[in-house]
Amino acid sequence: MSDKSKGSVAPDVPATEPSFWEADKGLASWLFTLDHKRLGVMYLVSTMIFLFVGGAAALLLRTELLTPEGDIFSATVYNKLFTVHGAVMVFLVIIPSVPGALGNFLLPLMLGAKDVAFPRLNLLSFWVYTLGAMFFLYTLFAGGLDTGWTFYTPYSSTTGTSVVSATLGAFILGFSSILTGLNFIVTVHKMRAPGLTWNRLPLFVWGIYATAVIQILATPVLAITLLLITIERTLNIGIFDPAMGGDPVLFQHFFWFYSHPAVYIMILPGFAIESELIAVHSRKHIFGYKAIALSSVAIAIISFLVWGHHMFVSGQSELAGVIFSFLTFAVAVPTAIKVFSWVATLYKGSIEFNTPMLYGLMFIFTFSIGGLTGLFLGSLATDVHLHDTYFVVAHFHYVMMGGTIIAFIGGIHHWWSKMFGVNYSEKAAKIGALLVFIGFNMTFFNQFILGQQGMPRRYYTYLPQFQQQHVLSTIGAYILGAGLLWTAIYLIHSLRRGEKATSNPWHGVSLEWHTQSPPIQHNFHGTPVVTSDPYDFPEIDRTGETDRH
Amino acid sequence: MSAIATAEHPEHLAHHFDTLEQQAAAAKLGMWLFLATEILMFSGLFLGYFIIRMFYPEMVLEAHEYLSKTAGGVNTVVLITSSFTMALAVRAAQVGDQKNLIRNLIFTIGFAGVFMVVKYFEYSAKFEHGMLPGKFYHAWDHGYYIEGLPHIFFGLYFCMTGLHGIHVLVGIGVLTWILLRAKKGEFGPSYYTPVENVGLYWHLVDLVWIFLFPLLYLVR
Amino acid sequence: MSEATAPKVFIAGKPVEGVHEVHEHVSPISSYVKVFGALLVLTALTYGVSYMDLGNASLPVAMIVAFAKASLVCMYFMHLKYDDRYNVFVFISTILFVAIFFTFTIFDLMQRDAVNPEQDTFFRANFGEAFGFQPPEPPEGAEAGGHGHE
Repeated sequence: MSDKSKGSVAPDVPATEPSFWEADKGLASWLFTLDHKRLGVMYLVSTMIFLFVGGAAALLLRTELLTPEGDIFSATVYNKLFTVHGAVMVFLVIIPSVPGALGNFLLPLMLGAKDVAFPRLNLLSFWVYTLGAMFFLYTLFAGGLDTGWTFYTPYSSTTGTSVVSATLGAFILGFSSILTGLNFIVTVHKMRAPGLTWNRLPLFVWGIYATAVIQILATPVLAITLLLITIERTLNIGIFDPAMGGDPVLFQHFFWFYSHPAVYIMILPGFAIESELIAVHSRKHIFGYKAIALSSVAIAIISFLVWGHHMFVSGQSELAGVIFSFLTFAVAVPTAIKVFSWVATLYKGSIEFNTPMLYGLMFIFTFSIGGLTGLFLGSLATDVHLHDTYFVVAHFHYVMMGGTIIAFIGGIHHWWSKMFGVNYSEKAAKIGALLVFIGFNMTFFNQFILGQQGMPRRYYTYLPQFQQQHVLSTIGAYILGAGLLWTAIYLIHSLRRGEKATSNPWHGVSLEWHTQSPPIQHNFHGTPVVTSDPYDFPEIDRTGETDRH
Repeated sequence: MSAIATAEHPEHLAHHFDTLEQQAAAAKLGMWLFLATEILMFSGLFLGYFIIRMFYPEMVLEAHEYLSKTAGGVNTVVLITSSFTMALAVRAAQVGDQKNLIRNLIFTIGFAGVFMVVKYFEYSAKFEHGMLPGKFYHAWDHGYYIEGLPHIFFGLYFCMTGLHGIHVLVGIGVLTWILLRAKKGEFGPSYYTPVENVGLYWHLVDLVWIFLFPLLYLVR
Repeated sequence: MSEATAPKVFIAGKPVEGVHEVHEHVSPISSYVKVFGALLVLTALTYGVSYMDLGNASLPVAMIVAFAKASLVCMYFMHLKYDDRYNVFVFISTILFVAIFFTFTIFDLMQRDAVNPEQDTFFRANFGEAFGFQPPEPPEGAEAGGHGHE
């Protein structure tokens, strides 16, 4: 290690080894691979397929809502469709997307490790995910499911649709999530390269780490809840079903003890990507590194104290409602710290308006709206008015879609060259980003107004006075769908026709940029040694430091 | 900065770890995280128990009298003993005492088997008396009348002991796997992480029972 | 880099030389025997206490004994006393989150009728009439088919 230039240093060995794409050939080398990068790619492909399934369901729903009457579907079919949309998007797309695809691919690279701590467990996790997805697909063809993704009792213990296969599917997917989280925690603790202290970890790693903590602590409770629902349905043991002496609100406690933290399983990876996008593309050291890192962990912990805000109107005690409402505001603090830090990073940075950055900026805009409207819903009294209206729908789409998915797409663009070794067409990508931005906001922004005016969620018919806004929303959804489809097209096109990428197109400093694109099978030619932090960009303009502010 | 692996590569060291210590520490942390998920999973059932007990105290107190304290007590002693032999097995692996390692593993599996046999007799008795979970509960056909909604208590009883029983069965499986590996002489002072981790799992099974026993069988 | 040849142990990402890993602690057999004896005594205690009528104290007493037994198993059989501190942290924080889960849920279900008594009755008091669940009366205990709800 003679060369000790600025930033993290990886041994400079000429790239003679084949990349991980070419290292092994054949289908079996993919299906039974222990390589975290291949598993990441496989997760990417599967989550994208399910994103398409869930998105198709969403477009069908929006088409039905073009007119106030029920035209295309019956009420039952509509119920099944929104359940498919919700369950697929939550369990098969958003929860596994960032940790499964980008996390798997990048975490060992960023840590300078050869692989995750338990490669075989990682493979198992992917196959467990596939098995869970099979159960969901089976549910789809075995009469569907009409409970919504939340499986509330007593409806879920009495409805005639295929609840058992769906709950078992979610149960199995939970295991996949647990195994991934467990693997990541151990990897971050035990596999860091020499010199990579906690304070030198890229913020992506911190975000994925906080996510993994929630996956470990919350998902087991989902497992037991779903198991109890299955038992309740088959044996009627009477723990959740009021007809047998159980308590439906107890089910909601069980469910939301997992599912509220799960909301942060979904958004923390979005935060993780966002920190990288903002810092790298404004060529400026991230503002408040420690604050962002620790606020991820703080969010992970506080997320366990607020689940009752989903239950304000479902028969929870008033006293508990007040306490949960109060605690909910505590989550806003670390979240705001993050948003302010990103904005402060942008200040006086040399911002490049390339596609990843456009998605990064889009994230700040949409997530801020999503986060702030969350406070409306967290306030006890306001929520009574807004509960189960389109306001809620708009809020969580601004967080889940406008937060996680937007960040995910931005992340895919950011690391596309690293994963596939090619560049996408920047011009096409900007068109895609514009379509997604316009389509998304057109779909969901006026749903805040719709909800505030009293449009309830999960209805396939509505009062005629809401039609104009519903039509606007549907057109937006089509634009959004077209934007996402366009994105998929030019990205896939780039795989065949894209120009070959350099190993570090954005001049990033963290370790994943210090290996070739795509990386070799063992990631690095030797063990990299880290000597500085991941946001010390060499060409940072420091002249401003003496300026007046 | 050449890779160390070329110099001397210990037999059980996976390619992505640098040292056996790193590998062992990673495996153990992974095991503890797994145990954490197990505890949280069981906690749901325990919470269900406490809530049902809070709702229907008289029913729970009356229904629990129908569980055999003796069978539960015997099983407690059996599991604690198996935990003890497991701890001795891990120690034997640590000091490289091959004979005691195999002997203690066989003892542990044997006690686990005894536990399941006692459980079998307990379950058969409940089945005979119609004390089944949920809608299958029909103890009144057999002349037992419990005031209130005893089907919930027996539902929980079967869920809790059933899930625990599944863990015992899985434990027998992994213990047998470890025993077979131990017989091949795979473990010694430099490499015993699998024995240790299976031991941790087995102690957790014991821990859960330590709480199940008083709550289901004893508490008035 | 000098650590290229020597085996590396990382603490906080820094290579450290000559670390004696704590998990190699070997307890003497006598300590296992003592713990085993203590566990048997505590089991006998909790079994014996269950025959005394302690009223409301019986649940706390049983739980305290169970926690004592659990701590013995964790500390000595599971070597938590000699283990990496982070593993201890994982274990304790698990217990903490279980406590959060229990506290909020039980608190809510206990307080449900604190402000509005009717809110509670809906869920608990009227199962029979409201939901059609009818356990059989004691005299006609042997009614065929079992449950009234079916």
